[in-house]
Amino acid sequence: MADLASRITKPAEEPAPSDTVPEGSTEGANSVTLIESSYEVEVKLADLQNDAESPLYSVTSFDQLGLSSQINDGLLAMNFKKPSKIQEKALPLMISNPPTNMIAQSQSGTGKTAAFVLTVLSRVDLSKPEQPQALLLAPSRELARQIQAVIKTVGQFCDNLIVEAAIPGAVSRELGVRASIVVGTPGTVMDLVRRRQFDVSQLKVLVIDEADNMLDQQGLGEQCVRVKGMLPKTIQILLFSATFPEKVYNFAKKYAPNANEIKLRQQELTVKGISQMYMDCPDESKKYDILCKLYGLMTIGSSVIFVRTRESANEIQRRMEADGHKVSALHGAFEGQSRDVVLDDFRSGRSKVLITTNVLARGIDVSSVSMVINYDIPMKGPGDREPDAETYLHRIGRTGRFGRVGVSISFVYDKKSFDALSHIANFYGIDLIQLSPDDWDETEKKVQDVIKSSRARPDYAPNALGN
Amino acid sequence: MAYQPPQRWASPNGNDLADILHEPRNTEARHRELLESSAKAHTQLRQEAERVLQESILREQTRRVLEEKRREQERIQAEQKLAEERQRLNELKKKVVEIPPLLPDSKSEAAPAVNGNLNKSVASQVPSSANPAASNAFQQPAAQAAAIQPSVNPFGTKAPGQGFTSITSNAPIAQPKPVVEPAKQPSTALGLNALLNGNSLTNGSGPANTTPKPAPTPAPQAPQPDRYTVIHQNLKILRKTMMDQAKVNRALKERMGDMRREIRKSVGQLTGGAPGVNRTQQQKIVGLLREALGNHVQSQLMDPGNFTLRPREPVQGANHNQDTLPSLFLYLLNIFSKAVISQFINEASARPETADPVGVCIAASFSEPDFLWRGVSMIDILLAKFRIVCPVLFGYRGSEKTEQGRSRLGWWKDGGQWISDQQHMDRMTGLGAGFAAISLRKFTQSKKENPFPASNYWTAMARIVNTPPAEISNTQCVVLKAMIQNYEGKFIEFYGTAALAALRAALIELPQRAPEKSPAVNSLHVLAQLLRKDSGLSLG
Repeated sequence: MADLASRITKPAEEPAPSDTVPEGSTEGANSVTLIESSYEVEVKLADLQNDAESPLYSVTSFDQLGLSSQINDGLLAMNFKKPSKIQEKALPLMISNPPTNMIAQSQSGTGKTAAFVLTVLSRVDLSKPEQPQALLLAPSRELARQIQAVIKTVGQFCDNLIVEAAIPGAVSRELGVRASIVVGTPGTVMDLVRRRQFDVSQLKVLVIDEADNMLDQQGLGEQCVRVKGMLPKTIQILLFSATFPEKVYNFAKKYAPNANEIKLRQQELTVKGISQMYMDCPDESKKYDILCKLYGLMTIGSSVIFVRTRESANEIQRRMEADGHKVSALHGAFEGQSRDVVLDDFRSGRSKVLITTNVLARGIDVSSVSMVINYDIPMKGPGDREPDAETYLHRIGRTGRFGRVGVSISFVYDKKSFDALSHIANFYGIDLIQLSPDDWDETEKKVQDVIKSSRARPDYAPNALGN
Repeated sequence: MAYQPPQRWASPNGNDLADILHEPRNTEARHRELLESSAKAHTQLRQEAERVLQESILREQTRRVLEEKRREQERIQAEQKLAEERQRLNELKKKVVEIPPLLPDSKSEAAPAVNGNLNKSVASQVPSSANPAASNAFQQPAAQAAAIQPSVNPFGTKAPGQGFTSITSNAPIAQPKPVVEPAKQPSTALGLNALLNGNSLTNGSGPANTTPKPAPTPAPQAPQPDRYTVIHQNLKILRKTMMDQAKVNRALKERMGDMRREIRKSVGQLTGGAPGVNRTQQQKIVGLLREALGNHVQSQLMDPGNFTLRPREPVQGANHNQDTLPSLFLYLLNIFSKAVISQFINEASARPETADPVGVCIAASFSEPDFLWRGVSMIDILLAKFRIVCPVLFGYRGSEKTEQGRSRLGWWKDGGQWISDQQHMDRMTGLGAGFAAISLRKFTQSKKENPFPASNYWTAMARIVNTPPAEISNTQCVVLKAMIQNYEGKFIEFYGTAALAALRAALIELPQRAPEKSPAVNSLHVLAQLLRKDSGLSLG
């Protein structure tokens, strides 16, 4: 309206209506904007941008990242509408040419997997569907299969996309690897290369997920070094994790030389969408009953319970099934494909409670997990004497995926467990909220309040939990 | 602006090169002639521009008037709502009086302190609740309440421990508000009513003639505008009265919390899979509701009409024809509804397929013959909650760029701030899937009556699909996508080729019509592609 009036040159008084209308909009859209700008208050910019510190915040769209339309459609089909911060920051660096190495750290559930999957998909030449061009390594078969599934889903509109899992029992003995993208565990990959069943000569990208774990000298580090030795020298190396202890980080920089780096401070590591609580149990024997009561306190989708031993895993499973829950238990006693079956039950929602030992602390992404229970506080070192802060962080990171609300409840019942949890809380600067099993009406109210306030927290700012 | 100035004014007189190069082009006469004609052209141009401006000012004024009218209508509605609310409140009050409360233990003396806080919040939730009591027809019972209460009140006159008495006693704080006269009858031309009735698809395949199973009962009476929000308010009051009852009724207090948590847990335990996989949970929920209906803990009786869309008369053969039902039963229906909505928001948001077993459980529970009141299910309690959390299913629209628009779309606020885009769209995904899970249930094999037949699904979809292009919001697209995905098969089973036409309108035509091709709009189109890829269903 204003532009119309101002175009008239007559110098006389011309009371232009005060509404401002963006130029170039159509007549119809115009009328709507007019009505609304007259009578409705626009959402303040601050409201929209106040979470600029959020790991999920970003300004660009996936379109702007220059991905192919097939990949874009794949993302839309997965309900991905906007890139997260790690995707927005890391992707342009990773897909630019000449290829550059990357070491990237971002909180659990913030889209790291999608970030490297998009990079891999944009590097692969689909006209050579059986020629391996990208290799992704993960610490467990579950994680490898999960990454494989993500690549297939994002790439569901790409023709000729073949993704194979290099894990025990998955690759044909006769044919070897016949895929453009290979996801596997380091041991199996090494075997396949040695047996000349995996042609690595044209690999362009190597991704290592959970890199701090993978490069740890006491664990899989040696295998990763050997795998790298078998690959083309020009290969682009991408290292991802939510945690990077200093020692491993230094090694990572040697493993992926001249890399771009995206790093977080220690206080930024915890995901603020996860309400972290602890349950003060009167003694160890009461833990079972208390556990069952938790499920009435709040709305829970799926949940993961971390325990120390197989025996307690089995016992909890028995009790919870008697209480009407559908439970999967996964621990070291299961092997290979029977592990797959158990986890698939949980992923598909046929069971909604997963009881597990540390084998699944890392990486596993089931988006509907809304509660994580540390039935036993994670410990490490000889005789389990030392609190394991990294594992705690990875464990609770199974919930609160991609900005969703989640709770974690850690059980303490004696001095040792209390001290261990306090140590972890201090390490990350978390303010844990205490729950008590004495009056469930009260506890219910408290839990509801905590969930509410954690959602309302205007933060994602570092250390917003205060203390 | 779309307005294009006509080309004939582009250069004065339409001179061409030959004219300019003509010999006497520098003569004074020629010069004057040119000046004149260009002045004329300028005048013409200005006149035209002024005309256009006038026109658009006029148009704008009309729009403002219309908008003003709409706002007035909204105001009337709001006032009606308020009046309605108060009437309900008064009815509730009447009920409280009718049923003498249990005498509490004298040691629960501490209650009033807690009560003080609650009173305050209730006073703010139900603004000037006492005013109607002093000014309308329900004055009598309210006055009685005040008169009777003290005699049974163990706390003495200064510490009223009973639900509504305390509201009355606290109410003078809210006094200054002017009393709004309850409107005598719903005005006929309300925009909202028109909106709610506009449920036919643009392509002409109306739902009525294609519905294999038409809506069970023809509406005897049109519901009042936005009756669902009134029910929602009544449910809040119900919750409060339950808390108050629990303070004086020990048996109720001991059972109520456990029942609530059991229901929430059972709803959370529902999983997909083979039929019968959720039998335990289903039995548990029905068992708890039945226990509440038995009312061994002696909760107060209450008029279920407070929570129904339309007034109901007794019908022959119904299990429950009386005026009242135990408040604990109504409360647990409320808790159950709350639990399922929360499950949709928290779980189906991330994994929409988890909504389906919950939908089955809802249909099975609300249709239970014992739980019908006067022959009809009490599912309005659930729908009232749906109306609040996902208004676009009920035909409400708004712009995501404005405060009011977001409110109308059901965009949640937490701690005074809008929740993030991601969270909002997640919620809408879960609720869209949840709505489909409730409304696309087959009852052909069942003796029970479907509490929420498929025509509701059609209506909700039509309300979104028929949105004028300029008003299409991302929220609507996300809800639409969620209510279609995984349910296209069931939808087609119900409506056949009409469903195909509706899917086409939703997944092909709507995204084409939408002015802004946002990711939410595009994802509708991607869903169409997915359907073609995965099930060979070609819509375009």
